[in-house]
Amino acid sequence: MNSLIRSFGPFMTALIVMLCSIWVVVMIVAPQLIMVEQSFWHWRWGGDDAALSARVDDLYNQVDTLGLDKSAAEAATATPEQTQKVSALSAKITGLMATIQQLEKQEVKPKKIYSMRNYLIMGGGHFAIFIKTILASLAVTLIALVVCYPIAYTVAKLATPSKAAIILLGLVIPYSINELLRIFAWLMILNHNGVANFLLQRVGIEPIAFLDSGAGVFVAMVYAYILFMVFPIYNTVETLDTSVVEAARDLGAPMWKIHWHIVLPHAKPGIAVGSIMTFMLAAGSYSVPYVMTRGTSPPWFTQLIYNKFFESNNWNTGAAYAFTLLIACTLFIFVMMRIFGVSIKDVSR
Amino acid sequence: MAMHGKDVVLENVSIKFGDFTAIHPTDLHIQAGEFFSILGPSGCGKTTILRTVSGFLETTTGRVLIGDEEMTGVGPHLRPTALIFQNLALFPLMKVWQNVAFGLEMHNWPKADRRQRAHELIDLVALSDQADKFPSELSGGQRQRVAVARALAVEPAVLLLDEPLSALDLKLRQHMRAELKRIQRKTGVTFIYITHDQGEALTMSDRIAVMKDGVIQQVDTGDRIYANPVTPFVASFVGESNILRGRVDEADNDFAVLSTPQGRFRGRNQGRLVRDTEAMLFVRPESMRISDPEAESENRFPVAFARRDLEGSFVNLFFEQNNEEFIVHLTNAGASGLDATSNAILSFSPEDGFVMAVGELADE
Repeated sequence: MNSLIRSFGPFMTALIVMLCSIWVVVMIVAPQLIMVEQSFWHWRWGGDDAALSARVDDLYNQVDTLGLDKSAAEAATATPEQTQKVSALSAKITGLMATIQQLEKQEVKPKKIYSMRNYLIMGGGHFAIFIKTILASLAVTLIALVVCYPIAYTVAKLATPSKAAIILLGLVIPYSINELLRIFAWLMILNHNGVANFLLQRVGIEPIAFLDSGAGVFVAMVYAYILFMVFPIYNTVETLDTSVVEAARDLGAPMWKIHWHIVLPHAKPGIAVGSIMTFMLAAGSYSVPYVMTRGTSPPWFTQLIYNKFFESNNWNTGAAYAFTLLIACTLFIFVMMRIFGVSIKDVSR
Repeated sequence: MAMHGKDVVLENVSIKFGDFTAIHPTDLHIQAGEFFSILGPSGCGKTTILRTVSGFLETTTGRVLIGDEEMTGVGPHLRPTALIFQNLALFPLMKVWQNVAFGLEMHNWPKADRRQRAHELIDLVALSDQADKFPSELSGGQRQRVAVARALAVEPAVLLLDEPLSALDLKLRQHMRAELKRIQRKTGVTFIYITHDQGEALTMSDRIAVMKDGVIQQVDTGDRIYANPVTPFVASFVGESNILRGRVDEADNDFAVLSTPQGRFRGRNQGRLVRDTEAMLFVRPESMRISDPEAESENRFPVAFARRDLEGSFVNLFFEQNNEEFIVHLTNAGASGLDATSNAILSFSPEDGFVMAVGELADE
C-alpha cells in the first residue's frame, strides 16, 4: 500500500483501490453471495395457501387469454356481432377480476424460511446424476489429457516453427465458429444415419448408436474443450529446454521414459491448469449434453439446474444445486493442485 | 575408476542440411583414450560433427565407427557415447545425485547400486557435500562437474563435450581445464572436446583438429599446430601472427624469399611455393625482435611505434608500417625494449617465418 502511494500518489492510489474493490465486489463476491443466499431459504405456505396462490395464477392466465381474444375482436371490422362479442368478453374479464380481488384478499404471503432444506431434498435420482456428471467430467478430462499431451508435445518440441503454426491455427480455427454449430456438426456426424455410420456401413459394419450410448457427449466435449487443455500444456512443454530431452536420450532413456521422467514432471503445472479448466467446463456444460443426447440418455447435472430454474420455477433449489456443483469443482481444483504438487502461484502463471 | 575408451573413426563423412553442406567429406581417426579437440570459429561445423558422433544426426555420406562398430542407424541412446551439452542440460527437477543416477536407472541398475555409484562419481568430481542439492542451488563450476559426473555414470567409451566451459568466468575456466584433464587421465575415456577457444584446445588436448567451413584444415598435436600451421587460417586462428604479404621472388624446398612493401624477407617455404606466387609470411609475435639499429642482418624492417599494452607477465608492443600492424611480445623477465615507446627496427630469424600461399585468415 505504501509503495503504491509512493509510485502513484494518494489520489491515483485511492482510485486504483476503489476500482479493484468494485471489481472484486461486483464481479466476484456479489453474484456468488446472491446465489448462495438464494440457496439457503425457501417459501413456507400455510394450509391451502399454495392451492389458493395457484388458483389466482390460473385466473390471471385466463384474464390474459380473454384479453387477447378481446383485442383480436376489436381489431376486426366493426360489425354488430363483433361489438357484441367485445362487450361480452369485457364483462367476463371484469367478473374474473372481481373473483381475483376476492381471492387475493384471502391470500397470505408465504414465509421466507432459512434452512439447509434445499441441499437436503436432492433425491437419489438427482444425486446419481450429480455423481455421474462428476465421473463423466473426470473421464472427459482424462480423455482430453491423453489426446492433448501428444499434440502439445509435437507442436512445442518436434514440429518446425512453420508446421507448429499451422497445427495451432488448425486447432484455433474451429473456435471461431459458434459452439452450438460445432456441436450440431458433431451431431450430424455421429447421428444414427450420419456421416460416421455411413462410412462404417461402407466397410460393412452395422450402424452404432453413438448418441444413445452417450459416447457422443464425450466426443463433442473433448472436441469442444480441447484448446483449454492443449494451450496450458503447450506453454509449459515449450519452456522445457530441448537439450534436456536430448540429454536424457543420450543417457539411454527410451522415448516413454523421457516423457515419464522429464517432460511430464516439467509439464505438471500446465497439466493441472488444463485439467482444471477442462473439468470445470465439462461439468458446467449445458449445450453439449443437451444437443448430443436429446433425452436419449440421462441428463447432465446442469440440465437439472436449468430445469429447477426455468421449468419448475424453483430458484432456491436451483441455486442449491448450482452451489453444490461449484463446491465439487472447487474441491477438484484443490485435489488437482495436491496431486500435481503445484501452488496457486504456478497455476496462475 | 578405470573405464575403457574406444576409437572413433569418421570415414568419408559428410553432412548436408538441404543445400547447405555443413561437413565436407571428412576422414578422421581419433585414438582410444585420447583427449581430442575440434577447434574452430562458430558455424564451422564442429558441433555438427559432435552431434553426428553422438547419434543425433545421421551422416549424408560415409559412416562413423566407434571401437570398430558401425554406428549407422544406431540411436543416441544406444551408442557408447555421452554428450555434455553447451548449456549442460541438467535435469532441473532432480537432485544432483538423481541427475547422476539417471543414466544408471535407464540402464536398469538396481536402486541401491545406482545410489552408491552416483555418489562415487560425485566424489570423483569433488562434489560430495552437494549431492542432495538441486542444480539451481549450485554455482556454475559445480553444475559443470555434475554434468561431467552424469555423463561418466553410464561408463561411456567416448565423452563428447560441446564447449562446456564457455559460460564460466576465466579463473573457473582455467580450474576446470585442469579438472577435465585430470578426469580424462583417470578414467581413460576418449574425450572429444569442441571449442572455439584455442587456449582451451592447446592446454588440454593430446591432438587438435582445426576446422573451418566444414573442412578440417589440420590435425596434429597442439605444439606442432602452433609451430607448423599448414594454412593461413590455422596460422591466424591458433595463436597470433604478424603477416607480411607479397610475391615469391626465390624459392627452394626449404626457404622462400618474399618481396613485400616492407622489404624482402626470407622464411620457411611451408607451402612448397614456386616463384611468382602471391604469398603470406607469418611470424609469431614472440619470434619478432626489436633489433639493434646498427646490426646488419636479413629480415629487417623499420616500423613506427603505435602503443604498448601491459598484460602482466608479458608486454605487447604494437607497431605500424604502411597501415599494417605488427605485434611484438616481450616477456617481463628482463628483456630489453620492454619500455619502448619509440620507432624501431623489427627483425626475425628465417626459421621463425612460414611462407604460405595467400588464403583466408581467421576473423577477416
